[in-house]
Amino acid sequence: MLGLLLCLALMTLASLLFGAGDVGPAAAWSVLTGTGGEEARFVVESLRAPRTAVGIGVGMALGVAGALIQAAARNPLAEPGLLGVSAGSALAVAIALVLGASAATLRVSVAQLGALAGCLFVLAVARLNGVGGDPVRLVLAGAVLSGLLGALTSLILLVDQRSADEIRFWIVGSLAGRRLDDLQSMLPSLAAAGALTLAVARPLAALALGERVAVGLGHRPRLVRLLTVVAVALLVGAATAVAGPIAFVGLVVPFAARALAGPDIRRSLWLALPLGPILVLGADVLSRLLVAPSEMPLGVITALVGAPVLIAVVRAHRLPAV
Amino acid sequence: MQLRSLRPGISRFGAALMLFALSGVLTTAQARTLDTAYGEVEIDGQPTRVVTLYEGALDTALTAGVTPLGAVATRGGEGVAAYLGDAAAGIDIVGTARETNMEAVVALRPDLILASSRLSQAQYELLSRLAPTIVPTTEGFEPDAWRDEARLFASALGREAPVDKALEEIDNRSHSLAARQPRTAPEVTLARWMPNGPMVMSTRLFATGMLAAAGFTVEDGGVVNEGRPHSDPLSLENLARIDSDWLFLATLNDEGDAALDAARQSPAFARLDVVQRDRVVPVDGQLWTSASGPIAASRVLDDIEAAMAQ
Repeated sequence: MLGLLLCLALMTLASLLFGAGDVGPAAAWSVLTGTGGEEARFVVESLRAPRTAVGIGVGMALGVAGALIQAAARNPLAEPGLLGVSAGSALAVAIALVLGASAATLRVSVAQLGALAGCLFVLAVARLNGVGGDPVRLVLAGAVLSGLLGALTSLILLVDQRSADEIRFWIVGSLAGRRLDDLQSMLPSLAAAGALTLAVARPLAALALGERVAVGLGHRPRLVRLLTVVAVALLVGAATAVAGPIAFVGLVVPFAARALAGPDIRRSLWLALPLGPILVLGADVLSRLLVAPSEMPLGVITALVGAPVLIAVVRAHRLPAV
Repeated sequence: MQLRSLRPGISRFGAALMLFALSGVLTTAQARTLDTAYGEVEIDGQPTRVVTLYEGALDTALTAGVTPLGAVATRGGEGVAAYLGDAAAGIDIVGTARETNMEAVVALRPDLILASSRLSQAQYELLSRLAPTIVPTTEGFEPDAWRDEARLFASALGREAPVDKALEEIDNRSHSLAARQPRTAPEVTLARWMPNGPMVMSTRLFATGMLAAAGFTVEDGGVVNEGRPHSDPLSLENLARIDSDWLFLATLNDEGDAALDAARQSPAFARLDVVQRDRVVPVDGQLWTSASGPIAASRVLDDIEAAMAQ
């Protein structure tokens, strides 16, 4: 855990030091030590610091959401981005934008509603015969849903060219230009989801031992799953509202957390807190450096990192028990 | 040319009528051979059922006094570009710049098709079976290519005079605007505002060519790659590259001012020198970054003149 926190501190520093612009690490460092020119101060304080803060919030939300939904679906491949939760969220936002909405607060709640619908679909599919027992089938079902929702979002983009520029951002996520206001709009949801997570962590660990064991220990599996799904929707919706859909973070983070701490959800949830931001900030720094003076969408980088992990998990002889 | 020297004081309307009558007399005599990207094309008379598959061709046809039966939609829009207004009312949409609806073209039974220099060989072979198809030989991006294209299309239509006249008026106007510029030409950048950052337009496009003709030095901040019409959206950390004396900011919406407001909310944009000096000019992206042709040129000059008068 200490190592992870150190790693997170390093990533935060890197996120402040590196960018697509002319302000290099040396100039940025001089800003951090209290000197530095006006231009460098603006870039570090008004551009890089806010997106770093937002990146930490988004990373935590997506990492924890991934760990939760994997536990609720009992599937190591369940991931908000892969299962259509993010796509549902993005579609809901796109519809709201076309209908004329623009307030940041509205976006968060709309995105959360879309995410909730996506989550409920995932759980419904997970309970179908033959799907629940086979993790890969659930991912296939999620891919179908993602594809469908993505196509609908594209359709809106085609029909309403006027808002095309604004919606394009909702197809691949990014942290560019995010501000502290954006992080603020996430905070109530993060707090509520955090409380829910604390409440369901122990029952989820019991569920991992089997439904009967959980019932025997006095837990109510249906209620636990429902609360978990609400927490996931709050987290993914808030993250999607500020950063757009970012896939694979919810897959890679729980995977790494289990590798470090074993299968107990109560421990891997804590590890997801620093791991999510480490991944998101790392990917964001890459997104700025790869195609300077432009930037690559963050969602593309996380997909490049995440796809090999997905393949590795599927190829593993025995899928780790969740 | 001859006509103008004979009747120097004649009104534009009268001139157009005269030309129309004159060219009507000459139609049968003027079979002509045009050099196009896919070889020589023979055209006789004045085509009347014209389909334009390129915004520059539509603009030129309207300049020449021909209302095409069909045209492609402007980029990012559902109909033809808004700047054409009522002149383009009632024209059927037969596709977008990227994709032509062949059946819609066939249904119009064209006797002339005017296309863009980017028309593919496969498309050309289909279209040229319907009607003579004119594809300009322009390669890459040349700020003045639209003039040659306009002359080629005008010749295909058999109506050169009104187009030549419009081109000359545009030259005169841009010269007089250039003469009003300060001794050191002011620098200008043309960009399109996107939520993630601005895309800088190449210096080799139609609209940036018009800015240059009006006496500006057009800058692209060194971020537009060779052979590309514009840069990728620039990182907000690099906005200093668009901080010229003037910034023309295009949007594909009609709501240019709304886009400017959105841009202003970005602290990285608001702190630019050009923004603080209030030298940001919101312009119609359909006109400035998608269109070309004599009418578009005249409208672009209107915008430039209005900005310079501020």
